[in-house]
Amino acid sequence: MTTTAPIGAGTPADPPAARRTGGRDRAVLRRIRTTPSTGFVFVLPFLLVFGLFMVWPVVQGLWMSFTDTSLALRDTAFVGFDNYTEALGDPDVWSSLGNTVFFTAVSSVPLVLVALAMALLVHSGLAGQWAWRLAFFAPYLLPVTVVTLIWTWLYQPDLGLGNQLLTTLGLDSVGWLSDESVAMWSIAALTVWWTVGFNFLLYLAALQSLPSTFDEAAALDGAGAWRRLWSVTLPQLRRTTALVAMLQVLASLKVFDQIYILTKGGPNGSTRPVLEYVYDVGFTGYRLGYASAISYLFFALVIVVSLVQLRLFRQED
Amino acid sequence: MSSRPPAQEMSAASDPVRRLSRRRLLRHTVATAGALLAAAPLSGCASPASASGASSLSVWDLFQGGDGMLMDDMIEAVSQGAGGFDVDRTILDWGPSYYTKLAMSAAGGRASDVAAMHLSRLAGYAPGGLVDPFDLDLLAEFGVTHEDFTPAVWARTQHEGTVYAIPLDVHPFIVFYDKEAAETAGLLDSSGELAPMGSPEAFLEAGRALAEATGQAGILFGHVTDTAQSWRLFAALYAQTGAAFTLPDGGPPKIDVDAAVRVVTFMKQLFDGRTNPNDLDYNGALAAFTSGRGGMAMLGEWELPTLKKAGIPLGAAAFPQVFDRPAVYTDSHSFVLPHQKDPDPARRREAHRYVAEMLKQSLTWASAGHIPAYQPVLAEPEYTALDPQSSYAEAAKAAVLDPPNWFVGAGSNFQNRMCQPLQSALLGNTSAEKAVRQMVREADALLRQPNPVA
Repeated sequence: MTTTAPIGAGTPADPPAARRTGGRDRAVLRRIRTTPSTGFVFVLPFLLVFGLFMVWPVVQGLWMSFTDTSLALRDTAFVGFDNYTEALGDPDVWSSLGNTVFFTAVSSVPLVLVALAMALLVHSGLAGQWAWRLAFFAPYLLPVTVVTLIWTWLYQPDLGLGNQLLTTLGLDSVGWLSDESVAMWSIAALTVWWTVGFNFLLYLAALQSLPSTFDEAAALDGAGAWRRLWSVTLPQLRRTTALVAMLQVLASLKVFDQIYILTKGGPNGSTRPVLEYVYDVGFTGYRLGYASAISYLFFALVIVVSLVQLRLFRQED
Repeated sequence: MSSRPPAQEMSAASDPVRRLSRRRLLRHTVATAGALLAAAPLSGCASPASASGASSLSVWDLFQGGDGMLMDDMIEAVSQGAGGFDVDRTILDWGPSYYTKLAMSAAGGRASDVAAMHLSRLAGYAPGGLVDPFDLDLLAEFGVTHEDFTPAVWARTQHEGTVYAIPLDVHPFIVFYDKEAAETAGLLDSSGELAPMGSPEAFLEAGRALAEATGQAGILFGHVTDTAQSWRLFAALYAQTGAAFTLPDGGPPKIDVDAAVRVVTFMKQLFDGRTNPNDLDYNGALAAFTSGRGGMAMLGEWELPTLKKAGIPLGAAAFPQVFDRPAVYTDSHSFVLPHQKDPDPARRREAHRYVAEMLKQSLTWASAGHIPAYQPVLAEPEYTALDPQSSYAEAAKAAVLDPPNWFVGAGSNFQNRMCQPLQSALLGNTSAEKAVRQMVREADALLRQPNPVA
């Protein structure tokens, strides 16, 4: 659009020329689009960040797991598989891994089922839809510190609401966070309350995108509400269930922060997940090399679990 | 459809982050941006490379709340006048995270000029070179020598004969009591102070008498889900038996199992769930004491400012001697010089002068309840006038710190792992013998790890 441009150089003063230029541009663009290297330019920023903050740490962590790297200033030596041998023989690795698996089992099932139940309830046309959606999803928006603060009060042994209710009903009070056989369940309950909203949204979205024709047809054929739920709605939700279950298991396996803040892994190590053990060993205990080895063992386990899940769901489909 | 891409989820296995969803990421980004914006006007005094210039002395500490404000007052006091300092203070959250950050900054060689550290953590920092030694001649030039500290505390400032820490205070685990309840229970001497106990039986009896006096609990102690309290109590009582608890490198730990069982048995008797509740957490015990639902509470002296505000007739005393000899579990806030790769001699000199000047402000620090480690302050009439601080000042003489080793100290795994079996025992889930056996096992497991700082 510049006025100082020499005349005859295809300036936009000439409309047909401009159209022609535009046509040339489109042709150029088409050529660019078909060149794979140009696409690469567009993803380069992402690849740089991905490589710098994802791939490189993963590689370096793997290398670290074969050394005795310490947080303190000292020479690092290559120790081969020593860290892995130590980890496999470390009872704390196995007990914390067991805790993680236990937590995953007792949290994932309700997180899927409760989310489904809530989504079905809301979808069934309850009055005040927005209020239910907000109420079910709101806890998910809270930061972990707030969530644990609320539940610390609820679980407080002496003044907490939980035990107040129980004693009012004439029942014995419960050591929510201090009884080894109860603590993990308490944390699972908190986690369900806190994060079920996300799965609920996934289910709700899926329910809303289901075609109503099948349901209507079944209703015309005289199928009752339960029959339609079991034979029409749930089978159609299978793919969503597979997705929700898979994401949930992965998320539950990585449990760390609410436990770290609430119980620091107690009582007696009964709620210490494997990631907390990694943190304890690596950061509080300075042994970064050994901590890396434990996290790579766990990494391997997570990959196996995801592959198995993927295979299971594929067969179902 | 998924906002939690599995590929990214798995990669976080080496990283203790719960989950990385787009929503969460967005929320965190917004929160971080907000925090940055909010912090912008403050950054002038928070970042070492800021407007305050390269000449300002950077200090790190973990003092928040009342302690943090007193630290501010002390810094302000030493900053005034011609010889004043230009101090750039960074406050970090206390606990394992503070020590991780301190270690990492020192490992990077670009740490602050001065930092605060619990003396009990020194054994994890000095051998690995994470802290630099003090120049005692330089300190003497500024008027501070080893004679200004009690031998019990000074002995812990060294590693292989070199001094790496200068203690600011001694902060013991003590007892606070309700003066009226103690009076009714007949536990006070003629001068209105808590009379010596002398035996485990006398202490148990005192608990019962206090429970009767308050109509509710006798002695309060919060330990549930706490990672230090039970250990503090155990360590105090165990040291009173005269037995040694040492952690030689490579193990096994040297613990007098009989004495330890005796102590845990006594703890179980003391907190039997009748006159003394056995299931309180830290805040629960604090709340119960401040609301008059107990006659005595076992706490650190650092709770003094909180308790003073509660409006109960407050008394404080060194931890009662119930076994063979006086001993009080203690730690000490100290100044250290975190490792720097190329320390500037002039700055180092300033760091020494700063530490010396801060020690001379100890009276301000004592108002929070801490016992000044710098002895000349204890002799000042202003300190003797502090009540109830002066009534437990003698605790510094019977100070017992954690057995030195790289993995022990404030906010450490060791304290947490010792607290777990003790909690089970106090809750009645396990016997004293089993708890002690587990403590020995845990200590042994920690000792058998390769030492990452040697």
